[in-house]
Amino acid sequence: MSIRVQGIRKRFGEFVALDGVDLEIETGQLVALLGPSGCGKTTLLRVLAGLESPDAGRVDLHGRDATQLPVQARNVGFVFQHYALFRHMSVFDNVAFGLTVRPRRTRPARTQIRARVEELLSLVQLDWAADRLPAQLSGGQRQRVALARALAIEPAVLLLDEPFGALDTQVRQELRRWLRRLHDALHFTSVFVTHDQQEALEVADSVVVMNRGRIEQRGAPADVYDRPASPFVHRFVGTSHVLPAERTADRVRIGPIDAGLVPGPDGPLEARVRPHDLALARDGEGWPARVGAVRVLGPLVQVELTIDGVPGGPRIAELSREQYEATPWRTGDAVRLSLKRWALYDRAEAA
Amino acid sequence: MSAVASDAVAPLEPAAPGEKDAPPQAARGGPGRRRRSAAPVMLVTLALAWLGVALVLPLVAVFAQAFAKGWDAYAAALTDPMALHAIRLTLTVAAIAVPLNLVFGVVAAWCVTKYDFPGKSALITLIDLPFAVSPVISGLVYVLLFGAQGWLGPWLLDRDVQIIFAVPGIVLATVFVTFPFVARELIPLMQAQGRDEEETALSLGASGWQTFRRVTLPNIRLGLLYGVLLCNARAMGEFGAVAVVSGHIRGLTNTMPLHVEILYNEYNATAAFAVASLLAMLALVTLVARSWLEARAPELRGERAAQS
Repeated sequence: MSIRVQGIRKRFGEFVALDGVDLEIETGQLVALLGPSGCGKTTLLRVLAGLESPDAGRVDLHGRDATQLPVQARNVGFVFQHYALFRHMSVFDNVAFGLTVRPRRTRPARTQIRARVEELLSLVQLDWAADRLPAQLSGGQRQRVALARALAIEPAVLLLDEPFGALDTQVRQELRRWLRRLHDALHFTSVFVTHDQQEALEVADSVVVMNRGRIEQRGAPADVYDRPASPFVHRFVGTSHVLPAERTADRVRIGPIDAGLVPGPDGPLEARVRPHDLALARDGEGWPARVGAVRVLGPLVQVELTIDGVPGGPRIAELSREQYEATPWRTGDAVRLSLKRWALYDRAEAA
Repeated sequence: MSAVASDAVAPLEPAAPGEKDAPPQAARGGPGRRRRSAAPVMLVTLALAWLGVALVLPLVAVFAQAFAKGWDAYAAALTDPMALHAIRLTLTVAAIAVPLNLVFGVVAAWCVTKYDFPGKSALITLIDLPFAVSPVISGLVYVLLFGAQGWLGPWLLDRDVQIIFAVPGIVLATVFVTFPFVARELIPLMQAQGRDEEETALSLGASGWQTFRRVTLPNIRLGLLYGVLLCNARAMGEFGAVAVVSGHIRGLTNTMPLHVEILYNEYNATAAFAVASLLAMLALVTLVARSWLEARAPELRGERAAQS
């Protein structure tokens, strides 16, 4: 076990940033902390690094209690969203920093430092930039320097705070795939913070969804997406359509659709559905609905639907290109809407 | 030439027939340019006139008066033993006060910008106190504290320690009055730079001192230099606070500004302006150094704009 946190609490004045967080991260995992801004994910990362001290709780790193350890003693690599490169130092000196500040006894010889820095710079494909200043590099290059600098001290844990947040979409995608390959090659334990669900689902082994200072769900990306533990998670990790449901004598009906036996008290429920789990047909079982706008987006086709008698804006169904070409819907068509997969939540939980 | 240009680049809209072969607007100058209204010209003239009357004219007057009786009189006024002593004292006071405020200012700015603690905004306000209080009052505070009738006066008198009407009092008053310069210069600069770099350095294993020396200091050095320049200019030029605590003892506790006043009151205008010309030159050097620094570090200018 690389990281174990128990009962972490942290307040900033009146604002509760962390409200009792327990989390375990195994060695070698790449974990995403996912949540909206203000959910406490960055605070948790900073608590792990020792940049923030918790009001209560305990942090273990590699089986040792690190709660009271200062940042310097934790041996964690920390990467900031805005790179935080030392602006007056060359790329080489930036990467060498963690080695050159060591006390004389443990500091490697100058030639060793040089060799190590050169090795790291070629790992991040920036060996040509050793003498440049950070200001002369692009965003993606700067973030790679920051990564090399953090790796130079051979950290037990690599912590990344929105590492791709300041980059444009294409660089961002390249860099996160590259990070994933790097992680697989070097097997360090890393935790990264993001508010971008796609990034979390794509890169991480395990996703931790946070909301209001608490962990809502922890699981593999596919689990979190397919079996969200709460309406919040359902809404946050993807597009989520809400449909009214009703339970009578353990039998649940989502509108006209029979959702089978789900034991529980009688009363209204909330069904949540992903756009690609909406199915359209000319007739048969299902909600009567009307087709609004139809948008062809490359491999996907989005069909806006207004369901008769159900309040709320139009629901958007996502069909594959093949499905759409087999039955091309036109604006104004009357359709029957059914569900391939759904999640049921209590109304109270949803509030 | 213009015909080539307009043929090579297809125009987005067909040009009006008459204008087809007309040269580009920029080259044409006069008729094509939007006519300037008179207001900006007047405002600039007004500003320049005011600057001339309020700043340049007095500066010229200082030097004109200083050299009114020729170079010899000027040199004599400056080499007068009392003048030399005043110059030496001013340099001594600045040599003590400026390094002290350099350290205080950096420490204060570091605390305010890199840490969060209760009472932080009160501290920021306190740093500005010497700017808000009249220098005369600052001087009087020290007289109240250390003077013969002051709180600590009798105790100090018993131990034969002289603070008021002596060099230590002048240094104390100068330190107080010039305290904000370095801190005020650094706080916005360090706030804008944030804490990320320092936190990174710490996470890489650097100690607090290593972080300061290798990361923070290089980032703030131009701002620091500028703060020190301003602090020095004020330390040498301070009149009010020093006048209260010094006692104007010629050859003992007279700084340059005080010496100028004494000479002037004795109707010795040439000597007064000769010494004053040294202070004026200090101001000019400070200004030149300032513009040099701003050319090197554009962020200093930005910070100043954001601050005011």
